[in-house]
Amino acid sequence: MSIRYQRLLLILISVILILSSILLILYNVRENISYFYTPSEITDADIELNKRIRIGGFVEKGSFIKLSSNNFKFKITDNINSINVKYTGILPDLFREEQGAVIEGSFETNKIFNAGIVFAKHDENYMPSSIKSDLEKKGYWNKKYK
Amino acid sequence: MSSLIGFLSLVFAIGINFYLILSRYIFKFKKQRFNFSIRLSSLLTLLSFFSLMYAYVTSDFSNYNVFQNSHSDKPLIYKISGTWGNHEGSMLLWLCMLSIFSFLFSFSKNIENNFQKLTLIIQAFLHILFGLFIVFTSNPFLVNSIFVDEGLGLNPILQDPGLAVHPPILYAGYVGYSIVFSIAIAGLFQNTDDEWLYVAKKWSLISWTFLTGGIALGSYWAYYELGWGGWWFWDPVENISLMPWIAGLALVHSLIMVRGEQAIKKWIVFLSILCFSLSVFGTFLVRSGILTSVHSFAADASRGIFILLIFFIITGFGFLVFLLKEPKKSNNLNLFFINKVSALLINNILMIIATLTILLGTIYPIIIEVLYNKRISVGGPYFNSTVIPIMIPGFLLMSIAPILSWQTNKINNSKKYVLGFIILSILVLIQSYFLDFNTWGFIGLLLGFWIILASIIAIFTSYKIKLNIKFFKIINPHIAHIGVGIAIVGITCSSVFQNELDFNLIEGDEFTVNGKTVLFEKIETTNQINFQALRGKFLYDIEKNLSKKIEAGKNYYPVSKMITSEAGILHQWNKDIYFILGDQKNNEWFVKVLINPFVSFIWLGVIVMMYSGLIAVTRR
Repeated sequence: MSIRYQRLLLILISVILILSSILLILYNVRENISYFYTPSEITDADIELNKRIRIGGFVEKGSFIKLSSNNFKFKITDNINSINVKYTGILPDLFREEQGAVIEGSFETNKIFNAGIVFAKHDENYMPSSIKSDLEKKGYWNKKYK
Repeated sequence: MSSLIGFLSLVFAIGINFYLILSRYIFKFKKQRFNFSIRLSSLLTLLSFFSLMYAYVTSDFSNYNVFQNSHSDKPLIYKISGTWGNHEGSMLLWLCMLSIFSFLFSFSKNIENNFQKLTLIIQAFLHILFGLFIVFTSNPFLVNSIFVDEGLGLNPILQDPGLAVHPPILYAGYVGYSIVFSIAIAGLFQNTDDEWLYVAKKWSLISWTFLTGGIALGSYWAYYELGWGGWWFWDPVENISLMPWIAGLALVHSLIMVRGEQAIKKWIVFLSILCFSLSVFGTFLVRSGILTSVHSFAADASRGIFILLIFFIITGFGFLVFLLKEPKKSNNLNLFFINKVSALLINNILMIIATLTILLGTIYPIIIEVLYNKRISVGGPYFNSTVIPIMIPGFLLMSIAPILSWQTNKINNSKKYVLGFIILSILVLIQSYFLDFNTWGFIGLLLGFWIILASIIAIFTSYKIKLNIKFFKIINPHIAHIGVGIAIVGITCSSVFQNELDFNLIEGDEFTVNGKTVLFEKIETTNQINFQALRGKFLYDIEKNLSKKIEAGKNYYPVSKMITSEAGILHQWNKDIYFILGDQKNNEWFVKVLINPFVSFIWLGVIVMMYSGLIAVTRR
């Protein structure tokens, strides 16, 4: 093989690599994203059963039911609409009523969402209640704190 | 008091750096005085950092930052590491690392004077940018406006030995690329000889080794911390650490390969700028709160804009110099179909594509939200099915690349490699026949073992085996690649062949894990310094005398009213047995047991890679 021919081959390989990577990326971006909804958006939009989505909102007060040590039922709400969720597994430590949570999974029936993963996030600026009341009294309470 | 000292020394250090930049054009410093000023500014920055640490250790709540992030009940180690467990302190740590790198660089010998000076001037410029950022948007020395005798406490999730080691080492890696950036820019300006390439090689290897260590430590921390999704989750914060790592890897390889070729030199400068830009960009994405991540603990949009500005200044300046100044004309690229330079070329193309793929996946949610006002998340499946296939040709190439020749087109002993590959394929095929066949498992194992095998064949056939330091330096590239192979085997086994078992248990129950009987002894609660611990106690393998104790449970932190879960892990060389204690109802506890085969190989592989990174620093 002449040097020229070899270089051509090398450039061809590079181009093929780049093109196939781009195709791979485009294909995977379409296939592997999950959309994020709030409970109200869910009620408006038509969501197929068994399609993997994420729902974000708050855990509704008084809705949490422990069926057994690893089966739970609760509602995710945005104070307008709420979604019935069931989950099997271990809930995150920060999961509790009236706290933010994001669930990923799919609708089993039109009414029940089967969560595969539950994410719970706590605001980083948590504040012990004793100090919170102290600050509020003195008027130094910053709204950023939870 | 310590806050005042800290703030003043921080400001003085910035002042000195201004003075240094002016000095280049006005005063014309002598070398000694110049170096003295650089070192003084570094020491002042260190002093500033240590006075913040002092405020944390002595629980000085007149400092607002300490008040917000510390509590006098905390064990000493978390008081010390709490210094960088918050946004302000971590930015000061960032600046501190930058000064340390300038400080060390000012001592390097055998470097041309003007070149060294120019590099340090660019460092001074970076110091000013980040210094002003700290002073104006994230000052850790603010005075608390109310008098309090107790602080708010550190986020319990961060109260872990991981916080003590992971951020400093990771930052040493990120910020280490600042010096590589400065060297590359100075090299372009000076444009005299190729000396800067050797200097850049040394420092980029140091940074890369630190970055590897930092990522691995973070990964290990996320592995045993529940709720962080295991050792790799494709979380935005993880992705942005991986991008400079891969770009840095491409840089290290280009620097090793360069023989004065003009095209590669340009490419090296490009990569040097890219590495540091990606580091700064990553910081911006995390701090601004634009991307939500399980690992981000401080986010504020106003700071994000400032970091974005710094990012544009640095990247803009870097690439502008890159476009305007050309490296000196020299040799042309020596491309053959199969030689080292071609292998390097393909390797670099793949690495950059991989970096871009990760970048795209990470910022894709932002793009979609801006364009269509829809919120999406790009998770692990995208990255797994995109990045891994892109890397596979690179891994294949990697196994033979070190023995390719520089000039010609031949591979020595090619028959041995072909034979080795065939035997290995058959062995892996047989193995996968006995276990459940899994395509990814098969590919991963074959690839990992092939890299190890090919490197070993290369060591034994291409060199004379001697047991001295020089020999280990010569075979170092092969050692590094063996490390990658070991890590691939570990990654494949632990992710593909993971086994999950669920149990509902009452105290005193016996159950079977992996053929061994496990006893669920009891549930116990104890009081620790700053938390209450609830532990489920397990005895693994009770039939033997040497049964092992495993404790899994939860901690309750009264100061912040938070609960954290603590997994119980039994480490064995060939598998980790991972216990998670769940919820209970009517005294029946939910226990999840994960069997992760060969996880230890991931860490072993990383250690081997870091070892060879360090060896490569000493090799010229």
